[in-house]
Amino acid sequence: MPRIRPTRSVVACTLATAMASAFAQAPTPTEAELARKLDQLAAELAAVKAQLAALQQQRAAQAQAPAASAPAATAAVPAATEPETPTAPATVFSGYAELNYNRPTKQTENTQADLRRFVLGLSHRFSPTTKMVGELEVEHGVSSASDPGEVALEQAYIEHQLGRTWGVRGGLFLIPIGLLNESHEPTAYYGVERNFVETAIIPTTWREGGVQLIGQYGNGITLQTGLSTGFDLSKWDATSTEGQESPLGSIHQEMALAKAHDLSVFGALNWRGIPGLLLGGGVFAGNATQGQTPTSSRVTLWDAHARWTPGRWDLSALYTRGTISNTAALNAPLVGNPSLIPSAFDGYYVQGAYKVWMQQDYALAPFVRWERFNTGKSYADLGPGLTPSPLPTETVWTAGANFQVTPGVVVKADYQWFSVNKDANRFNLGLGWAF
Amino acid sequence: MSRGRARALVCGAVLAFALAGCGGSTSPDDATADTPLSDQAALGELIFKDESLSASGRQACASCHVQSNGHSPDNALPAQLGGPLMDRQGGRSAPSARYLAFNTDFFFDGEGTPTGGFFWDGRAASLQRQAHEPFLNPAEMANADAADVVAKLARAPYAAEFKRLYGADILTRPSDAFERIALALQRYQLEDAEFRTFSSKYDAFLRGQVQLSAQEQRGMALFNSPSKGNCAGCHPSAKGADGSHPLFTDFTYDNLGVPRNMELAQNADPAFYDLGLCARPAGDLSARSDLCGAFKVPSLRNVGLRKVLFHNGFFKSLKSALTFYVQRDTNPEKWYPLKSDGSVDKFNDLPEAYQANVNTTEAPYNRQLGDVPALSDAEIDDVIAFLQTLTDGFTP
Repeated sequence: MPRIRPTRSVVACTLATAMASAFAQAPTPTEAELARKLDQLAAELAAVKAQLAALQQQRAAQAQAPAASAPAATAAVPAATEPETPTAPATVFSGYAELNYNRPTKQTENTQADLRRFVLGLSHRFSPTTKMVGELEVEHGVSSASDPGEVALEQAYIEHQLGRTWGVRGGLFLIPIGLLNESHEPTAYYGVERNFVETAIIPTTWREGGVQLIGQYGNGITLQTGLSTGFDLSKWDATSTEGQESPLGSIHQEMALAKAHDLSVFGALNWRGIPGLLLGGGVFAGNATQGQTPTSSRVTLWDAHARWTPGRWDLSALYTRGTISNTAALNAPLVGNPSLIPSAFDGYYVQGAYKVWMQQDYALAPFVRWERFNTGKSYADLGPGLTPSPLPTETVWTAGANFQVTPGVVVKADYQWFSVNKDANRFNLGLGWAF
Repeated sequence: MSRGRARALVCGAVLAFALAGCGGSTSPDDATADTPLSDQAALGELIFKDESLSASGRQACASCHVQSNGHSPDNALPAQLGGPLMDRQGGRSAPSARYLAFNTDFFFDGEGTPTGGFFWDGRAASLQRQAHEPFLNPAEMANADAADVVAKLARAPYAAEFKRLYGADILTRPSDAFERIALALQRYQLEDAEFRTFSSKYDAFLRGQVQLSAQEQRGMALFNSPSKGNCAGCHPSAKGADGSHPLFTDFTYDNLGVPRNMELAQNADPAFYDLGLCARPAGDLSARSDLCGAFKVPSLRNVGLRKVLFHNGFFKSLKSALTFYVQRDTNPEKWYPLKSDGSVDKFNDLPEAYQANVNTTEAPYNRQLGDVPALSDAEIDDVIAFLQTLTDGFTP
């Protein structure tokens, strides 16, 4: 059955209410009055249709270039509500890329230029209700046995619409936690680099294999829930600092021969009932020892987020926290190593941006972001001398601007100040695009 | 089969089924599988324990690789004795033959680090390739050639079984027969779970069956800590991502500057130096002077059973070996002789040109003269307590 978008439902509902209201308030109308009201309603209907057509056109453009829109607009577009323009081709190529330059101002010898990622997207609609979505990513320019790059599939799933409200996805898909994970194109966020909270704590771009149900209600609520693969704590490398940089990023599996003894569940609720406002949160939980250890351990990650885009403003905030259970047993054989498994880690940020200048396609939006995160907030007790001290909480200020050259192309510049690792203070410059 | 006398005399070091440790790690379940040996492996076991295959008639593989001692020598000789009269001393200590099923051929990894291989210098590509050498080494089983070995085997009680498995005419083709002897020995070591029991207290601890004592836990922390023992830097102690138990070696090579052992007859010649990796008989690494003095990082499984340690058997206890590790640079006078001018002849088992190859950058070797050692005496005892948990045969 063709999917009815919430917007259309809202319009229909509004019209029906308006008509009912009109008749209810005129219990004894004359023919002339009725004719006048009909004319009036017809005019209003025509205006609404025109608005609807314009909206469809706008969304079609977003579908072709998902990140071409301003972050405020993308935030209001649920992941599963891509439009179905009757004239849209069945097979669509898309893509995005980031080229970044990072110059630590206290350690300029570590300056780097990196083709961070180049992503090719391919979607194909088999029928009005069924489509495939895939994304193939190359990181760091060159991927070979002697180069640092890697090639990865970020997404590869089938989505089937079950009715007006619910759809189902199966395959490798992005987990609906946070603001960035499902909407991670460079044109969709502020700053050259993705924020730390949604990379160190929420391991963007985080995907799992499984089944997901997506429900979109006319009142602006989007529900997502599913069963998927999860993390693998047997991958934890206590001898490296990778786990301190991103606890979950170091043990995610990305469906690469993923251990699937233990599956995880997840759910997300987002509300877009008021134009420009997004409120939501998500949770992901599942055992992560994958049958490799005598004791099982559960990884749980949740977040709450908000984004508000009144006028030229783009304001957002997010809090996320992860926990890992039974870490005392897991850490017992690892004592003395640099990176034991934390029992808790968290982070939060607030961010504000303002579009100060717009001319034709050009748009300049300065922003500032304040974030705090701790990848080792607490550790289970292992006894005196053996229990690691909690890691210090890092605070990062980021200030800069996104300059939209044209919808879909962005140049970014910013500076980042770190409170703990001050040597990491850096100037960043980036070029990104998405279509 | 009796090993008595041969055990007392022991074989030469290189008979050793390569150096310890070795590649990869494995599931403990594999090791405890009670599956019968194949015919070829069963034949290999007979060969492994057959002293008649040596020139002396008193030495078998099992003479040096004593099963009850973690398949390593049960004496404190720096190198084992062999030869026709069992009076020739080998050049290196005999390593344990355990956990070699997971070793690999020698190679340089992506960062150029030498890795894998059998023997202290990694010169053999496999257990099969390794098995040839002790039969022909003049300081070990001392056979003249392959035909000599095969002629001895033809008189063994299992000769008929050998012909059944490899062909009625196999003994008429000495070269082919010798190859199959090595093959049978490899099958035996790969199939017999005794070579990889994963039955130590530490294995039981990893399985959640037992807790380590407070001292063992402290020792483990010191063993793992990069700023203290840093032992795990070369002897990884963590389970693999596949759940496999650690082998306590990263299969690489290191140059520790172990003192010259004057108990080795070869060292009576002041011009002789055992240079290890760069001096392999094939000469394939002779141009790599940076590898001179490097020897294989052995597994530490069953290290508590070892009577001598390091490639030249200089140290005879864990206490002395660990103290050397942490005091080599802080108190070199404890380990090396004095030169005629009264200065310490540090790294005296290497020509001066190669002394710069010695690892002096990683803990615990990164100390200076007079610094506080990375481990105190009590901490060394803690590490030893932990190392003792690596001995196979623990019963929870």
